[in-house]
Amino acid sequence: MAMRTAVYQRRTFVLCFDMRVRRNLRVLGPPCGRGMVHMGSASVVSGLVRASADGDPEAWNELVRRFAPLVLAVTRRYQLSAADAQDVSQTVWLRLVEHLGELRTPDALPGWIRMTTQRECSRYVRCGRRTVPVDPHADTAIQQPVTGDLDVDLLRAELRQALRDGLAELPPREQRLLRLRAADPPKSYQEISDLTGMPVSSIGPTLGRCLKKLRQSDAMRTYLADDSGQRKPGRRWSV
Amino acid sequence: MTQPHWTDEDLLCELGAALREEEEADAEFIRAAQMAFTWRNVDAELETIGVVPGCELAGAGRVRGAGQGAPRLLSFHGGQLSVELEVDETGMVGQLTPPGPGQVTLITADGPQATAQADEVGGFSLPPASGPIRLDCVSGAGHFITEWTTL
Repeated sequence: MAMRTAVYQRRTFVLCFDMRVRRNLRVLGPPCGRGMVHMGSASVVSGLVRASADGDPEAWNELVRRFAPLVLAVTRRYQLSAADAQDVSQTVWLRLVEHLGELRTPDALPGWIRMTTQRECSRYVRCGRRTVPVDPHADTAIQQPVTGDLDVDLLRAELRQALRDGLAELPPREQRLLRLRAADPPKSYQEISDLTGMPVSSIGPTLGRCLKKLRQSDAMRTYLADDSGQRKPGRRWSV
Repeated sequence: MTQPHWTDEDLLCELGAALREEEEADAEFIRAAQMAFTWRNVDAELETIGVVPGCELAGAGRVRGAGQGAPRLLSFHGGQLSVELEVDETGMVGQLTPPGPGQVTLITADGPQATAQADEVGGFSLPPASGPIRLDCVSGAGHFITEWTTL
């Protein structure tokens, strides 16, 4: 019971975090007019799914690029080794290749990927993995708790895809500035000046303008519009 | 109405996490995933037998070192054919149901690896494999293929 409460609190916390993100990033102006949008605009993902089903390898490569972080996020929850995570994710992609034509709407894709990865991880952890972590004190196989909440992976993955897509909308020079400043650790203004030739004094204001453009990018506006009255009942905020 | 502000610093922080997350999906990971596309339509005409999620370690329990080298059981169930598979590091032993002679081909992401004849009671054995696998099964019940699953 105590564990259930803890899970509930963590979920509430993360969802609140996500709502905070959406509320505070909300930009002025009308939303882009599309609801039910995940991992980029529905038209983009829809086009990629359709083209992949029709045999376009470039479209498939782009789908993989967009959704690989989501697959990895789920495998991480199950604490799989890198090799095991790669095997499980490969299974997910092999299954997706066969199911592309059956997806009723591209909107279903992120949920399908998350659910399939989750099921295969769960099955693999119980009976497929080649090595099992052993607790040296208890001398028993360590139970594999699924930490956190898988819905949160999906929400977080959507936000991060929107940020990557939003960044890609900016001119290369502005992308570079944001990448340098978003690095871990962030480059100092002096380092950025050395790398780009921009005067140190202009970096702060330029950075501010770039971030404003990122907030107002189509990808971010679409992501935020998803929270303005077009959310699916029961999926997003039902805690 | 004023709203709490998500600062530029917060935004940069989340952007950094988004970019690092993308880098983590390294080239090899992406390449392998993209390779999966070569399987498009390869076995599309065959009926798929789904993996049964509730498989267990054979003879598992809280025995010392359970899972290390212990045989693993996998089941696939379809409308007309079921396949039970016991897997360990030396290979796999399987059983077709309904029992009867047939032919079972082990397929990995690299293609077909080995073909075994199922005996008159549906038993067969195959060499060891790891990673994603599927079985192509021809028996009196028909021609089926299992869902991809991870060994």
